Amino acid sequence: MPWYLYLALKQLFPSGRRLPFFTLICVLSVALGVGLLVVVLSVMGGFSFELHRKMMDVTGDVQVRASDFVREPAALQAVIEKVPGVLATTPFAEGYVMIDFERRPAFPTIEGIDTTRVRRVFPIDRYLIAGSFDALDDDGVILSSQLAASLGARVGSRVEVYTPLIVEKLKADEVELPTELTVAAIFEVGHQQLDSSTVVVTLRRMQQLYGLSGEVHGINVRISPDIDADQEADRINAAIGLAQRDGRLKPAPGLAAKSWKQVNRDFLWVLQLEKNMMLFILLFVVLVAAFLTMSLLLVLVLKKTREIGLLSALGASRRQVALCFCLQGVGIGVAGTASGLALGFVFGHFRNDLVRLLTSLTGSQQLMERFYQFSQLPWHADPKDLGIVVFSALALSTLAGIIPALIAARMNPVEALRHE
Amino acid sequence: MSELLLSARALRKAYPSGDRRIEVLRGVDLDMADGESISIRGESGSGKSTLLHLLAGLDRPDSGHLAWEGSADTGASRRARFVGMVFQAFYLIPELDARQNVLMARRMLGPLDGAARERADQLLAKVGLAERSHHLPSQLSGGERQRVAVARALMNSPRVLLADEPTGNLDERTGDAVIELLLGLCADTRTGLILVTHNAGYAARASRRFLLHLGVLQG
Repeated sequence: MPWYLYLALKQLFPSGRRLPFFTLICVLSVALGVGLLVVVLSVMGGFSFELHRKMMDVTGDVQVRASDFVREPAALQAVIEKVPGVLATTPFAEGYVMIDFERRPAFPTIEGIDTTRVRRVFPIDRYLIAGSFDALDDDGVILSSQLAASLGARVGSRVEVYTPLIVEKLKADEVELPTELTVAAIFEVGHQQLDSSTVVVTLRRMQQLYGLSGEVHGINVRISPDIDADQEADRINAAIGLAQRDGRLKPAPGLAAKSWKQVNRDFLWVLQLEKNMMLFILLFVVLVAAFLTMSLLLVLVLKKTREIGLLSALGASRRQVALCFCLQGVGIGVAGTASGLALGFVFGHFRNDLVRLLTSLTGSQQLMERFYQFSQLPWHADPKDLGIVVFSALALSTLAGIIPALIAARMNPVEALRHE
Repeated sequence: MSELLLSARALRKAYPSGDRRIEVLRGVDLDMADGESISIRGESGSGKSTLLHLLAGLDRPDSGHLAWEGSADTGASRRARFVGMVFQAFYLIPELDARQNVLMARRMLGPLDGAARERADQLLAKVGLAERSHHLPSQLSGGERQRVAVARALMNSPRVLLADEPTGNLDERTGDAVIELLLGLCADTRTGLILVTHNAGYAARASRRFLLHLGVLQG
């Protein structure tokens, strides 16, 4: 081992003696910064991971839509299902309606689903909080939780549905009465927009409400979990293009497949931006730790001035003296980062116990579950995020060692030896 | 005639003091043969330590010429092998025990081997600290610390040992023992010794004696 590394380690972690206060403070400050970053990024990663899962559950892995309608859904499904990696498909139609229950109106989006196929694509039962999916028939409707709460409707309630078709018919001096449907179930996804204003009916009912004759708005596709959704969307687009060219599908304007990432691109961008901002802001904690390390290393250099003179007398070059102090910054960075990672993962392991303790002390457990839809704190440590944290902490600690190292290297050995 | 171990010609050194420069050394000439011992005395502030630092290659003269075994190379890497130094204030590294302090000189030359560790143990035995080799400097007395410093200075078998007031921080009895040790070890290993001291008795034990007065060595 080169002497400068040996001496740097001995000065940081002397054998047979207590850990120096200087080392303890510096390592602890870096560890706290790194630990905080690991905890925040992993919890945010956990929330993000859960949201991604819910998005995939709601839209499928890939969605195929046209500019207006898909007029041959069965033929299109047959083409899509032949693409390798596609597990199942289900058609959907969507629009807006007015719902009225006991003179309380609401204007939710409406989704028509194929009840015989939808479970192969969406784990719809997972999100039901009342009623049963099997009870949904052409006279039934499933309400989102917040919509049901605002209407005051429950499973078994009968609601009236008004569609734009009624208005169209009124213009032609025709009268169509609203459709009365029975609430079959209530769902909650954990997504504010979906939970506040969505209703689900059968595809047949939806087509009737909107005056569609077999057309749908799109096809949701479930793919094998080990396949990238973007690449699979490209493969489906290629298959659709080929089918249109060889006549298996009629040309339809704007008919294209998009992955769930492309469909939710803006929302995912906001999530990523939020995470990046958090990383950037919390890196300042590590930066402050690096400044602390630098200031304490500067004090150490002053304290060790005569030793620096001695090292020169023993034959040390300026470069080696600089390395000795710079390596102390690296040593603090390595020890602090390792301790911080350990600290973060220990917190991660016991996070739910800690949150339970905190919420039981403040009596806010139910509140948390209501707002976050998570009974447990989600955790997902992304190796890429951890890599950025480790690299940043090590780089900043090394930089913190460079200035004291340069000051030590520039010392005149004779003046250093005479230093009082 | 054997080649000169160390040769200094017309060394001059001045330090700034306010608006003017104080000339500490005004042309020092010194030749040293292999295994020779030289003492240099002088008043406080006469420039003894400055001269020693110049001879060790730690500082550059304003003018003049210094050569070690005929070579003007007095750089850091050569210094580790050619010169050993003992200081008044010992300058042991507090985080290292006595043995590690002695081995520190050897580490400057490269990785340690078994022979180096054996030599450190032998040197510590020679200075009477075999039993205390794993004690930290804070657990040693002043005399013991200086003996560790002597062992460290001799670790790389240097050609010249420069001792700057090595008894300055010691009581008379301990100082006598350290001087005895220095002279004995240097004579045994034919290491040249330049001893800077205030003490006329210690100075008298060197084979050549000088007085540094008004920036010039007087024999």
